[in-house]
Amino acid sequence: MNKDKELEELFLAQKPQFDDNEAFMASLNKRLEAVEYIKQHQEATIRRYKMALVVAFVVGIISGVITIIYMFSTPVGMPLFTFRVQTGWLSWLAANSRLLTATVLSLLVTFGLISIVSNIQDIRSMRVESEKI
Amino acid sequence: MTREGFIALVEREQEALRGFLLYLCCGNKDEADDIAQDALVKAYLSSAGYQEKGRFRSWLFKIAHNTFLNHKASCRTTESLDEARTLVSNTSADASFAHQDLYLALRTLPPKERSAITLFYLNGYNIKEIAAITETSEDAVKKQLSRGRDQLKEKLKP
Repeated sequence: MNKDKELEELFLAQKPQFDDNEAFMASLNKRLEAVEYIKQHQEATIRRYKMALVVAFVVGIISGVITIIYMFSTPVGMPLFTFRVQTGWLSWLAANSRLLTATVLSLLVTFGLISIVSNIQDIRSMRVESEKI
Repeated sequence: MTREGFIALVEREQEALRGFLLYLCCGNKDEADDIAQDALVKAYLSSAGYQEKGRFRSWLFKIAHNTFLNHKASCRTTESLDEARTLVSNTSADASFAHQDLYLALRTLPPKERSAITLFYLNGYNIKEIAAITETSEDAVKKQLSRGRDQLKEKLKP
């Protein structure tokens, strides 16, 4: 496509000149500094989240393994824990200790899984947000 | 890319970028500089993924063009020609311009045609490069240039 000579000359004759280049660059530098600060803050937050995620995962695995080993190492007919004082509800707790421990363990695992999934989603959304900026 | 490296590259290209945006904003220097700053911040944030070696200016123009279109989409204010005339005559950057009519004529073009015309006539890019910057096909750029040129010539008729 050929250029229209008249238009080209008109555009080139009016090529903008700027006399505030230094002010523009100073303003840009300021903005980049602010962006850098926010970026570092976000990265630190993501690092903290990741650390929390790893700690939760490790603690969950270790406590889960210990509890399962303990459950398997005790005889089936015996309660997992007993109380010195024998009252009605404490006896009930001791009698159903295996079932109760399994329930609490499953709740903990569920809670752990939910928190891991939500942490991963948080980290992903933070990444997307920081990319949008 | 380090911040210092980015700044060094931008220092070389900022005048061309601001000139391009000044035309897209039809002489509104404050608006053009705001968009330029936004575009440069975006460019800095995505500079880690910058791989088009030696084509820094085109890459910046692409980001600036998208930022300009987003800016236009977010503030869809329709300004009359009279408002445009006031705006143009009030800006400091174009005080030295002898032909403010060009800005007024550009204002009548849709943003995409304005971009194509500015890149072609002011910045000297060819059709292929314009298509890459504006992320459209070469045929679309040709149509934009042809329509834009006819419209500009019509508006600039003495």
